[in-house]
Amino acid sequence: MAPQTLLLTLANLLIPAAILVFATGFFPYKPFMPGLAEYEELGWGERMGWKEGSPPKAPFDRLVFMVVDALRSDFVFGEESGMKFVQSLIRDGSALPFTAHATSPTITMPRVKAITTGSIPSFLDVILNFAESDTTSTLATQDTWLAQLKAKQNGKLVMHGDDTWLKLFPDFFERADGTSSFFVSDFTEVDNNVTRHVPGELLENDWNAWIMHYLGLDHIGHKAGPRSPNMIPKQIEMDEIVRTIYTAIENEDHLENTLFILCGDHGMNDGGNHGGSAPGETSPALVFMSPKLKKITDFTDRESPTKPKSGEFEYYRMVEQSDIAPTLAGLLGFPVPRNNLGVFIEEFLSFWDEGSDRIQLLLRNAKQMKRIVEATYPSLDFSNEGRDITEECSSPKVLHWTSDGQALACKWQGVVQIMSTFATIHPTLRFMRAAQETMSSTASNYDIPRLVLGTSLALLSVILAYFTLPSLRPIMPQGLFFAGTLLLYSINMFASSYVEEEHNFWYWATSAWFFYLFVSESRKEWYSRFISHPAIVLGIIHRVIRRWNQTGQKFAGADDIVHSPLLRGSNSIIIWSLIGATYMDISLRLSRHVARSISSFDEERSKDLDDFESTDANRFMGMLAVLPLGATAFVFKLAFTARDAPELTKGINEGILEWVEGLSLVGGARMVFAGLALSAGWVALAEWRRARRRKTGEGNGDFAVALFDLISLFLVTQTKAQNIPLYLLFRLQFFFLSVLDLSPTAITTTTLLLTQTTFFALGNSNAISSIDLSNSYNGVSDYNILAVGFLVFISNWAGPIYFTCAGVLLLGAHGRIQRHIDTAELDQRDWVAKEREHLERLVTQERALKERRKGGSGAWRAHVGLLTLWTGVSLTSVMAACTLLRTHLFIWTVFSPKFLYAVAWGVAWHFGIVVGVGGALWGVGKW
Amino acid sequence: MATIINPQAKPRPPATPIDLLNNDTARLYTHIHPMLVLSLYAYKFRSIVEDPVPALTSTLIPLSILQIVYVAICLPPTGGSGSAAAQLEKRKPGEKKKPAPGKLESGVNGKIIPAFLSLVLSVLAATPLLTATLVLFGAPVTTHHPHTFLCAAHISLLATLPLVYVHGVDGETWREIVALLLPIDEVYGGMIGTVFGAWLGAVPIPLDWDREWQKWPVTIVTGAYIGYAVGKLVGGTLLKGRKIMFE
Repeated sequence: MAPQTLLLTLANLLIPAAILVFATGFFPYKPFMPGLAEYEELGWGERMGWKEGSPPKAPFDRLVFMVVDALRSDFVFGEESGMKFVQSLIRDGSALPFTAHATSPTITMPRVKAITTGSIPSFLDVILNFAESDTTSTLATQDTWLAQLKAKQNGKLVMHGDDTWLKLFPDFFERADGTSSFFVSDFTEVDNNVTRHVPGELLENDWNAWIMHYLGLDHIGHKAGPRSPNMIPKQIEMDEIVRTIYTAIENEDHLENTLFILCGDHGMNDGGNHGGSAPGETSPALVFMSPKLKKITDFTDRESPTKPKSGEFEYYRMVEQSDIAPTLAGLLGFPVPRNNLGVFIEEFLSFWDEGSDRIQLLLRNAKQMKRIVEATYPSLDFSNEGRDITEECSSPKVLHWTSDGQALACKWQGVVQIMSTFATIHPTLRFMRAAQETMSSTASNYDIPRLVLGTSLALLSVILAYFTLPSLRPIMPQGLFFAGTLLLYSINMFASSYVEEEHNFWYWATSAWFFYLFVSESRKEWYSRFISHPAIVLGIIHRVIRRWNQTGQKFAGADDIVHSPLLRGSNSIIIWSLIGATYMDISLRLSRHVARSISSFDEERSKDLDDFESTDANRFMGMLAVLPLGATAFVFKLAFTARDAPELTKGINEGILEWVEGLSLVGGARMVFAGLALSAGWVALAEWRRARRRKTGEGNGDFAVALFDLISLFLVTQTKAQNIPLYLLFRLQFFFLSVLDLSPTAITTTTLLLTQTTFFALGNSNAISSIDLSNSYNGVSDYNILAVGFLVFISNWAGPIYFTCAGVLLLGAHGRIQRHIDTAELDQRDWVAKEREHLERLVTQERALKERRKGGSGAWRAHVGLLTLWTGVSLTSVMAACTLLRTHLFIWTVFSPKFLYAVAWGVAWHFGIVVGVGGALWGVGKW
Repeated sequence: MATIINPQAKPRPPATPIDLLNNDTARLYTHIHPMLVLSLYAYKFRSIVEDPVPALTSTLIPLSILQIVYVAICLPPTGGSGSAAAQLEKRKPGEKKKPAPGKLESGVNGKIIPAFLSLVLSVLAATPLLTATLVLFGAPVTTHHPHTFLCAAHISLLATLPLVYVHGVDGETWREIVALLLPIDEVYGGMIGTVFGAWLGAVPIPLDWDREWQKWPVTIVTGAYIGYAVGKLVGGTLLKGRKIMFE
């Protein structure tokens, strides 16, 4: 092995090592306390006059917990809300409204965890949210209010709605009916599945907690945003359900002591998506309802509808979502769950007339939190003994950020001292709030040495990759462009806006790159009609591609081509024509490969010819052979879209729609995948035969092209319908790039720019919320984490995969028409000297490309070397940004998601696609 | 494919950098001019941020006056058939001996009229082309049409007006201009600087600073003005006479 290859291998191996080391330091495993909490010894019993083990009497014994997914605060409290009944309850004093602050990541599973355990879920839950079947993410063994209520006498739980709950709490529920949010276009069925249980459950008196989780409102948001015309009717529908349940609570004796909670698990941003930490996403509504609440609402804010107190979505008082757990513990009479970091909502203290009961409730909450604090800071003193704290707590050290634990210890001492003199609730609340704040920020205690080690390993990989590169002199503009891109990118990774708006960087750089190609080509020869210059056409196509999907945060929801009326409603025939054209194009290409392969089995012709073209009969056969595959793929896409995005199939004939809706999606996808595998196998066999028989041993790399076209069809199958026309544009770009005679470095630069551009152009961004899951279950009938994970990657990185493969073909000039001109045969007397010159140039060009493909010039190694350098640089900069900015406000909302994306790029894209698929294409290109 | 203009029809003399007119006024004014242009922009900046369309429109007039005065005072006009440099050399020896016949008349004929022609050409020909280029680089297509057009007009007044004045409309020269084949001088440097500055001007737009001046096309125009001043200065001094090497 050449030393450079060795270095390159080493550089590549360092990348996963760096990621692993960094990730273990950045997302540390958070220990949690096992077992159910019990009422524990409280102390100060004599002074306060309470008996151990007898908590204050709970005002409620049953709970109806109604979650409406993505119920943003203004959907309930605002002036445009459709939830008039809830608002009337607020005015009446039988409902107590809050805005419940949800921490990022604002997606359902971590939010349900926060609501039920009272803890602040770690960022790793985001990954586990997508790997839902993973048993480590269940809450079966954790202490939650569900576990506490189930452990009570006659504790029986009932659940209807989002099956996330069933996955988190396996075997918890007496009766359950889960709905999965498979098709986001389903606004009604998911909710009717829940609502149909309401009348029956209201008559039952065996349950003590009934959980409902409605998904329709979230689906409307994802599909059409918060201002969709469907939004208000959905709110009215939810309001009616609240009315039904509340009226039953008012009138039925067995529901007399029922607490009814309506809440959202998270909100949504203006684009209707969630996952990040925009105010809209983190501000769900929270309403406690019961006729009994009138006792405590005398002095609370009853105005409704109202305006937000501050910001856009902060209505009434802002509490933490985790506060729900300890509040339920007090109101329903069970111990606060062990890992809770929530604080009892103080408005409810007025339920207890005795001051000592109030103090006891808070103190139990505080002691439970103190245990977590103790476990986090084992060296500090959190005993109940009063001691002299003036010295350690007044020193300036306490104010320093390193001694958050010390500050908490001091506050706890404050509680202890106040308890032993005269009891008030304020120091206890103060301690709890401080503990909540400190513990949620230390919810991830970074392991700094590991962060630094991981970053250094990535840097080492960059250095190694750098030394594998061929000589850097003379300095070429395309080399400078590549280096400049890497440099600017690493600077950008330190600015949160540029991480959020990363697509703009790539669009901007790619436009400039095509302009550079235009200038550089113009130096060689001048096209009088420069509008048709390949580089200009590339730029024009790029301009269309970048407008196809609006992405990023700042202008989320702005107009784009996909959402323009040109392609919607009755105009959807346009988009389907384009989709059909894309499938047609790929099918035609495939048919050519199949035709070639059929001709390879033609013994007669292969005897005396090296590379022979297919006959007309072969081509016809090829078309017939490919037609079923192309047609199945197209029909599958139509059937899938009719269910997933019906607004895109409005212009299609009803009869056709009815027919495709009867088809099995899983079966259809499997047929497409099997057809692809079959075709690949067949073409491989034929090309291999052809390569073996070839006398000169020089193939044209047709098999690599065939594989590329098969991969394209696979990628199209994994792409949302509205994005499929982009592949026509990609194909055009690929064509014009092959017209330009690019140097290897320029091809690598183009590969880098276009992989990144297409990633964002397909609608992705650096936010978790933009991950598209709609195509991740194609052909998968039961949950299979490997298959689904693979398909998630393919469907989100389809564009990058396309251009990585295209880059390999450009590099090796695979499948280009070969002229086979023999220079010796060129006539000396040829009177068109220029023509001769031209032909000779073509010959040398062809020879150079052939040489490149044979691996003589190390073009492949240089290509992988540059892309390894890129991956190393991007990982190093993202890791350095995460390390240096770990106390930044946006660390969990901007930089951590970016790190996860960088990991996906570094591992799945770089190893799987650049080295794996790209290497395979390069290898078979020599056949 | 597109036809290729045959460059071998007539051998051309190698292009030389444009020199300033050989008098003290030109040498002095060429440094005052960018300051005047930048001051004009700085003076108008607030109103441009407030309401770009009328402010950018009204700034066009003083800008074109400044550019016309600059080219008339400092630069050799294009010589029609021959290259600008040859024209300059022809004129130089005659300058001292013969008293110019009708100084005002020849000034108007030789300078002001070409300058106005360059103005008309850069507004009529270069501005639409630059508008298309801006759109190609990401300017909004469906909205902000006057904004983009005015932005292109400013860029063309800064970048192309002096170029048209010194190089005329010879197709081959313009091919060399686009292909970055000409040697750098203050006119060519100014053009490259303007274009590069306008491109860099897009950088602050995505930042979440929520400033008024981040709106379209304020940053692009600002980048173009600064780029023009820098490019003109560097092109006229440090890099003068150098050629841009690609391979």
